[in-house]
Amino acid sequence: MSIESAQMTHAGGIAGHIHPEPQGFVRRYVFSIDHKIIGIQYIITAFVFFMLSGLLAETIRTQLLNANGGFVSPETYNEVYSVHGSAMVWLVVIPLLTGGFGNLIFPLQIGARDVAFPWLNMLSFWIFPVAGLMLFSSFLMGAPTAGWTEYPPVSLQGSAGTSMWAAAIFLVGVSSTLTGINFVVTLVKMRAPGMTFTRMPLFCWGQFATAPLLMIATTALAAALAALFMERVFGVPFYDPTKGGSPVLWQHMFWFYSHPAVYIMILPAFGIISEVLPTFARKPIFGYKLIAFSSMAIALAGFMVWAHHMFTSGLAPYLQLPFMILTFAIGIPTGIKIFSWTATLWGGKIHLTSAMLFAIGFIALFTCGGITGIFLAAVPYDLDVHGTYFVVAHFHYVLVGGSLMGVFAGMYYWFPKMSGRLLNETLGKIHFWLFFIGFNGTFLPMHWLGIEGMPRWVATYDPQFEFWNRFASVSSYVMGIGILVFFVNVLWSIRAGKKSGPNPWNGRTLEWMIPSPPHYYNFKNIPTVYGLPYDFSHPLPYTGLEEELTDAPPALAAGAH
Amino acid sequence: MVENRAQSAHVGPGFWSVTAVLGLLAIASIVFWYWFPLEQYLPAAIVTARQVDTLFRFMAATGSALYIFVFGYLLYFAIAFRVKPSDPPDAIGVQVHDNHRLEFWWTLIPALFVVLLSVVSVKIWYEIMLEPQNGLVVQAIGHQFNFTFRYPQINGEITDEMHLPIGVPVTLNLTSSDVIHSFWVPAMRLKNDTVPGLVTSIRFTPRLTGRYQIICTQFCGVLHAQMNKQVLVVEDKASFDRWYQGWQVKNAHVSNALPAAGGAAVALTGGSAPAGQTLFAQKCSACHAIGPFNQRIVGPGLKGVLHDPSHPDLVNGDPATPANVAKILQTGYVGSLGAMPNATTNGLSNQDIANLVAYLDSLK
Repeated sequence: MSIESAQMTHAGGIAGHIHPEPQGFVRRYVFSIDHKIIGIQYIITAFVFFMLSGLLAETIRTQLLNANGGFVSPETYNEVYSVHGSAMVWLVVIPLLTGGFGNLIFPLQIGARDVAFPWLNMLSFWIFPVAGLMLFSSFLMGAPTAGWTEYPPVSLQGSAGTSMWAAAIFLVGVSSTLTGINFVVTLVKMRAPGMTFTRMPLFCWGQFATAPLLMIATTALAAALAALFMERVFGVPFYDPTKGGSPVLWQHMFWFYSHPAVYIMILPAFGIISEVLPTFARKPIFGYKLIAFSSMAIALAGFMVWAHHMFTSGLAPYLQLPFMILTFAIGIPTGIKIFSWTATLWGGKIHLTSAMLFAIGFIALFTCGGITGIFLAAVPYDLDVHGTYFVVAHFHYVLVGGSLMGVFAGMYYWFPKMSGRLLNETLGKIHFWLFFIGFNGTFLPMHWLGIEGMPRWVATYDPQFEFWNRFASVSSYVMGIGILVFFVNVLWSIRAGKKSGPNPWNGRTLEWMIPSPPHYYNFKNIPTVYGLPYDFSHPLPYTGLEEELTDAPPALAAGAH
Repeated sequence: MVENRAQSAHVGPGFWSVTAVLGLLAIASIVFWYWFPLEQYLPAAIVTARQVDTLFRFMAATGSALYIFVFGYLLYFAIAFRVKPSDPPDAIGVQVHDNHRLEFWWTLIPALFVVLLSVVSVKIWYEIMLEPQNGLVVQAIGHQFNFTFRYPQINGEITDEMHLPIGVPVTLNLTSSDVIHSFWVPAMRLKNDTVPGLVTSIRFTPRLTGRYQIICTQFCGVLHAQMNKQVLVVEDKASFDRWYQGWQVKNAHVSNALPAAGGAAVALTGGSAPAGQTLFAQKCSACHAIGPFNQRIVGPGLKGVLHDPSHPDLVNGDPATPANVAKILQTGYVGSLGAMPNATTNGLSNQDIANLVAYLDSLK
């Protein structure tokens, strides 16, 4: 698309008039329609839930210090890990990566003044803390106990909190779906003139691959949850086999969502890494198009592999093979990404900032989780280690070593854009090393525990597994201290951190071209884009940004173009 | 000279030495995984367990080798290409965007590996699936929170250990009386869920005598963690036969009823036909007539249900015996004739069921 026709297409839509900034605390910071404020609201809320579910995680590890447990009762233990898993997935990682960093960053990166539907965005956000409080309040009435997957019929026996859980997750799903719609429309319709798809920063590609998953997959989960809720509360049989229901139906519906959800939790993190690496290696990202398209390939293929979670569930055996082979095949685009990131480091001028350490740590840990994913995809091996600590180790390498490391990389990278201040680098490095070492100490031994025969979801275990469990528990405390250092860092830096200026990292994407924190309207004039942002030897590929860092007033008039 | 420098700048200082070291480490890791004495930690109790171990060794060896290269280069690049204090503040890296030859190979090689891994996995999958069908048929039933086992010609259920003779192919049919459990014996490298309302089966041939832990690996309720107390005993034919005959004698007096929901089979002795008649009027007569089979209200007429030679089987295909009638009363029925709720929904105690069966038995 030529720049002229792009301007024609977008005239008025994005470069049009600017609404006056709302005055008053409530309209600015509580019921805000500003994507940046909403993004920060998501991030703060999600980190509060992160602290709570992190405490639940340490409760789990404390219980498992001894083979006989004894820290909490088995009933409480089951509640603790169920809420830990559900909260980490739905209240922490997904909101941080989509509603949080998505909202905050990608509209800036495509040169838009806001997302397409700001009021819808506000609604999306406000559903989320309500749902989160509902989930945690289930502890008051007996929280769910059947893990984050809540397989019926055992979840039909669970206490009243299980229905509350279903309602809460349903609401989070509504919030996710609305966010997905908002992001797709924004990314398709509101890119600055000249920003073709193949000039979009890779973080935007990550969001562009994720948003359709949010839109489409979440609806399957919503149906499954509504059925579970109706069965539990009104006795409408969907899953109870004694009344003609099918327990395996839930598993299909649940995993039809939850496998794509794995990509919802990792594709935006891929995007973050793809921004951090070139900035701190001072090099173009290696293989831009392959990284962008492999994200789309992963998102598409992610819809076709859900039954690999169900190899032991009594599926027709011949159905196992296509799911196995398709899952192996996802290893190819994932491998391409890992190799491209590694190659991006080659020949760079690497600044090992905290953000960069987390990005490199991401590649190291995510690769490990990816490889054990191949193990689990192989049906004969899955029939051995399914439902054991091997699986626990695998998905923590992907979701903590991957997604959460990505979140931390994003926090160190974009905190200046949110606050105008830098996070402390020394504390950041302490955070990284404590977290990295603690993480591996916690989850690496779990592979072996699973192979040797330790099942998941257990409040007590065979004494032969005590040594490695204690090792894991102690390491998890190290990891916890690392996270405390991070919280201290954030709270300290937000008041006393070094002022960052607009572009502390010499970044080249559009968000670094405007003040930190940006104005309400983001851009005084919508820039025009001439190329990819990653050519460090070239001048910046933008025009129309001359006034952004001056005192000049924004171009306010409607229809100025 | 100039060319040499260009060459070393092309791949970076020490690149080939690092590659050589990583190659050696990768070979060492492959050797390690093929040498690793897995069976010392975890015996391979059935024939296909060793095939699963072969698959594990293959994936662990290739996965480690790949990981050593990724992690090694990552570490090496991050250290070797750090910005130096002597570099100007705006120093930039080598401006490479891509390298099509490199990308071609690192797409093709993983793709070929995926093909290879698929072939290996499918082959081993077939070996597991194609275990003989005509062996000993055993049923394992999951309950909250133990498994019970049924053997041909042994009445009732065996509640403690599961015994199998060495070298005899086994078909293990799995089902559950309540929620989903999963039957796993780590020494077998094999598991399958026990799903209520569904019978799934796994087939295998024990190859090594010993006692192996049976573990439930699907969360099944508050005491899930305790559902690991039972063992699979693989023993020689003579010991197995002794154990088997012992149970035949021990369970001779037990009715051969299938397990009812909730676990225990209903004891049918002591049922009272008059009490059953009263109960039938209250709880059953809305749907069932006391008339011939084809006199249907909702369900079939039940006169002579246990004594009608023209209907030797019950609606679910089981032979018309008191125990099987009790089973339908207990677990309900879903099928071509419609649906009947189970005992819990109908509010029937075990004594009620015994009374009803006694009443139906009295109708000739």
